[in-house]
Amino acid sequence: MREWWRHGVAVLMLLFALLPIVFVVSAALNPLGTLSSSELVPTGASLGNFVRLFGETRFGSWFVNSVVIAAVSSAASVFISALAAYAFSRRRFRGRRVGLLSVLLIQMFPQFLAIVAIFLIFSTVTDLWPEIGFNTWWGLILLYLGGALGVNTWLMKGFFDTVPRELDESATMDGATHAQVFFRILLPLVAPILAVTALLAFIGTINEFLIANVFLTDAGSKTLPVGLYGLVAGERNANFGMFCAGTLLTAIPTVLVFQLLSRYITDGLTAGAVKG
Amino acid sequence: MRIRAVGITAALIAAIAVAGCGSDDKSPTVTESAAQAQGELVIWADDKRAAALKPFADKFGSENGVTVKVQAISKDQQTTFVTASQQGSGPDVMVGAHDWIGNLVQNGAVDPVQLSAEQTSGLNPNALKAVTFNGQTYGVPYAMENVALIRNTELAPEAPATIEALVTAKKPLCLQIGQNGDAYHLYPLYSSAGGYLFGTTGSGDYDPKDLGVGKPSSVQAFQKIAKLGEKGDGLLKRSITPENSIATFTSKKCAYLVSGPWAITDVKKAGIKYDISPVPGFQGGQPARPFLGVQTFYVASKGKNKALAQEFVTNYVTTPELAVALYEAEPRPPALTAAFDQVKGTDPDLEKFIAAGRDGVPLPAIPEMAAIWDPFGKAEAAVVGGADPAKTITAAGKTISAQIK
Amino acid sequence: MRARPADEKPRSSAGLLAKTVLLGLTVAIAVWAAFPLIENEAWTGLVILLATTGGLLYLYLTPRHIPLKYLAPGTILLILFQVFPVLYTASTAFTNFGDGHRGSKQEAVVAIQTASVTQVPGSRQYVLTVATTGDPTTGSLVFLITDPATRQVFVGDANGLRPIADATVGSTGRVTAADGYTLLNAGQASARSAEITALAVPTPGGAIRSSGLSRAYEGRAGRVYEASCDCVRDTTTGQTWTADEDAGAFVAADGDRLAQGWKVGVGFGNFTRVLTDPAIGGPFLRTLVWNFAFAIASTGGTFALGLLLAVALNSPRVRGRVAYRILLVLPYAMPSFAMLLVWRDMFNTDFGLINNLFGTDVDWFGGAASARLAVILVQLWLGYPYMFLVATGALTAIPRELAEASRIDGASAWGGFRRITLPLLMVALTPLLISSFAFNFNNFNAIYLTTEGAPFPADNPANGATDLLITYTYRIAFGGGGAQYGYAAAISIFIFLIVAVVSAASFRRTRHLEEVNA
Repeated sequence: MREWWRHGVAVLMLLFALLPIVFVVSAALNPLGTLSSSELVPTGASLGNFVRLFGETRFGSWFVNSVVIAAVSSAASVFISALAAYAFSRRRFRGRRVGLLSVLLIQMFPQFLAIVAIFLIFSTVTDLWPEIGFNTWWGLILLYLGGALGVNTWLMKGFFDTVPRELDESATMDGATHAQVFFRILLPLVAPILAVTALLAFIGTINEFLIANVFLTDAGSKTLPVGLYGLVAGERNANFGMFCAGTLLTAIPTVLVFQLLSRYITDGLTAGAVKG
Repeated sequence: MRIRAVGITAALIAAIAVAGCGSDDKSPTVTESAAQAQGELVIWADDKRAAALKPFADKFGSENGVTVKVQAISKDQQTTFVTASQQGSGPDVMVGAHDWIGNLVQNGAVDPVQLSAEQTSGLNPNALKAVTFNGQTYGVPYAMENVALIRNTELAPEAPATIEALVTAKKPLCLQIGQNGDAYHLYPLYSSAGGYLFGTTGSGDYDPKDLGVGKPSSVQAFQKIAKLGEKGDGLLKRSITPENSIATFTSKKCAYLVSGPWAITDVKKAGIKYDISPVPGFQGGQPARPFLGVQTFYVASKGKNKALAQEFVTNYVTTPELAVALYEAEPRPPALTAAFDQVKGTDPDLEKFIAAGRDGVPLPAIPEMAAIWDPFGKAEAAVVGGADPAKTITAAGKTISAQIK
Repeated sequence: MRARPADEKPRSSAGLLAKTVLLGLTVAIAVWAAFPLIENEAWTGLVILLATTGGLLYLYLTPRHIPLKYLAPGTILLILFQVFPVLYTASTAFTNFGDGHRGSKQEAVVAIQTASVTQVPGSRQYVLTVATTGDPTTGSLVFLITDPATRQVFVGDANGLRPIADATVGSTGRVTAADGYTLLNAGQASARSAEITALAVPTPGGAIRSSGLSRAYEGRAGRVYEASCDCVRDTTTGQTWTADEDAGAFVAADGDRLAQGWKVGVGFGNFTRVLTDPAIGGPFLRTLVWNFAFAIASTGGTFALGLLLAVALNSPRVRGRVAYRILLVLPYAMPSFAMLLVWRDMFNTDFGLINNLFGTDVDWFGGAASARLAVILVQLWLGYPYMFLVATGALTAIPRELAEASRIDGASAWGGFRRITLPLLMVALTPLLISSFAFNFNNFNAIYLTTEGAPFPADNPANGATDLLITYTYRIAFGGGGAQYGYAAAISIFIFLIVAVVSAASFRRTRHLEEVNA
């Protein structure tokens, strides 16, 4: 019976979490597709908005673009981040703390100002290497990876710090290289946080709008947020139902990734896994 | 062991990603260079117009043996266009509102277009005037828009002749204001109450040195507007926002709606019986002057293919077919007289909107207009919410003139 | 510094293979990237590319510089796509870069002259056919011009106009064949677009220029640049505008200035303007205090909520944990800009879901206190799943033995959590809290997509109750006189300094946390 408080907390939070979402669901099902946020119960229910979404827009390609870009860049970003976190946590070198702080501070510069510089860089890149220029997956992924060394590095570094040093020191004594210590001992121990970071990076990328909006202009190359925004830009009423339907569908890949990673996130590794 | 697999997978993905860059390069290079050899025209528009333009752009492309790409910019079209142009990544042709002209010109982003006498005579004179800036024509207009009073004829059978009649009718009005105001939709009322934004020079251009906001006439206008506000007659409310205004009308919670041709699609879809009349003015006041806006095709100064862009804008956009197709995508009155005549028979709303815009004035295209929107809107919202009109509008005038300098 | 054993150990064959493949790929990419650079004679770029590749090869083949081996991939990307844009942006703070001052003086001159070209009064428009003498791609370009009235055809080039006799003219007036000239189709012509636009055939009244590919007109530049006086002269009125290199504009004696200006350095002008601008100085302190309150409340609130949930669900005995978790993460899975817009509508006084649901009549965004409460509430909703996920990951990473050990010691569940689990969590999460604070301090969208800074006092439309420094900056720099990037960059640098000092100070305090396990 002592566990009831847990359900109490969870249910209260669920109410708070789901209220706006219920509204989105209601608007997605509402065939009129107008924005009238005073009612939770739709005046009618149909899947018309979903059908129109696939029939009238290039929702399919947006979806694929988003999932590929988010999957590749989050996987690569977690890997890059973990490498750096290892160095920051386990190695002592000159400029370590300054480097760590700079990594954070550099992200604090307002992005709407950086847009000009991004045009500057990628106009040249598009001329020289159109394969990684504007309107390509790889260009955008590279651009996103510029932020791989950032908040996620901090997050992982914090977790590397909680793993007792004795573990890798004894492995080093036993003759393991630094690479073996990293891949075989540390990474398994921080699996939960790798999974969390991967999920956070995935969500961050799949929802990114500001940069993707100027980077992807071809109708077929757009990502979900850019495409969806286009539906309601200008006069938001007309396509609001489709927009809500699209917003709901956007959550699906994230939920799937969460499911996929959840055994790492929620079960973690039992104590026995420290065997290495 | 599990984690090692994850590590290897991650490394593999990184490797594939990198390899992908390498292996992917051949095919796009080939198509790219082929496209350049036969000419490529890039057009930017917002999402709705991009979709409508597509078939005609393709047709123009196949007729002329060139590739035409229509790309939709979803947000901040004007800034994105100027920034991209400056860095050499912009389009050849841009589609946008005419009030961008001042800013586009000061950034050297668009070129004047040279229309022949018969082309200019085929355009609505108001539309042509709107795209004229410092004596030059900076684009080809294709559609016009202005707000009118749309009413639900079941709730309000008669068109009100004055604002006072609207107040005594005691039926809710949807005039979008929102938390931070909306100068565009308020302007008919403001002008009818005697206010103005910029004076005009002898040649009829707007004069940025003569700012009307903050002048006694604007204070008097806002005093009249304050009477309609939440602390007065309750005709104007901040809770009517740009987002919910049309929806509130289509759900029959408002008898009247102040909006433009873009609202009609929704109104029809909701099955509302409606009629359109001019936005009424105050009794004994000036006529209510809605802003006239004109949708325009621009030739980008820094486009890679300017000759083709000029060909498209001056010789293809001026054909009625395209104007009619754009009308069908979104029912705004075409600026091309021939196209207008062709569709007005099937759509009586067009003439009504034109009639509602008869007293209208072109939306100022001078760059200084950018300083107006935000402070003016906020003053409007504050006054509607019950703030002191004199104090509020004087402060707005100060803020605006500080920015114009 | 601690001594480490030398790093020369026999490595596994899988490791060796992976290393070889990755280094091979690096070289392959470098080679691929080099070709366009050579083709375009971008030697600086090539040198950078070679140096980087060489550096990487050295780094991964030498046993030394172990930390750098781990930092290099992220650092290179960081420099390219974050450091460079930031430095570039910061450098614009010393210029007048913005609308009307975006390009070079040369570009401004071209823009002024192009914008002044008008049709010669009384002149007529001609039908144009673009042609070359000889090969369509390399032959020299000429305009074949048909007078629509007489159907007489002329050939025009940079030397002038002369009639030709043996040309065939189609029904529209376009030339269909002409001896000695190759007619260009639209595709061929557009390949030479720049030359076509540049060609002006001199005439007594001005010059014949193309208007597209099928029409030409006789035009005259109303304003020309004269290098001798470094000024622009109006050809009809004779008025001159002299270049002012400090302002980056052509200015006439009477103060009239041409709209098309150029980018010039202004030294610390933007910075002094920030310090002296009454629109910034006046409400600065109030905004700063609220900005801190917002960042702290958002970070602290989401952390508290997320941690509470994580702890509540971190028990194998809770049924339906998986379902709870998925539903609780949903707010984070939706595009945030979409949900911010939805929340804004929910706070509407008359039509919003919140007032309707609770039967209240609160003017949420109309009062300072309620608007601030509302934006923080929205931030809580958007941000708690992040903290929930992180805290869940952190809790699972903490060996269960530790917590259980404390139980055996007789501590209560709460005591055990507070004394054992929480300190360990803080080791892992403090860096994150700092970065979350820094993020929220500059959380532009949270305000811009909801209240836009409202409510505003009646006497100051420039600064609202929920404005953060960043949204306030944005309004000042992009609201009035068009986009003023230079000014915006200068303000951003000031804000950046504030965030940096606060973050660095809190970062210093983490030093002891870091060494918990050392």
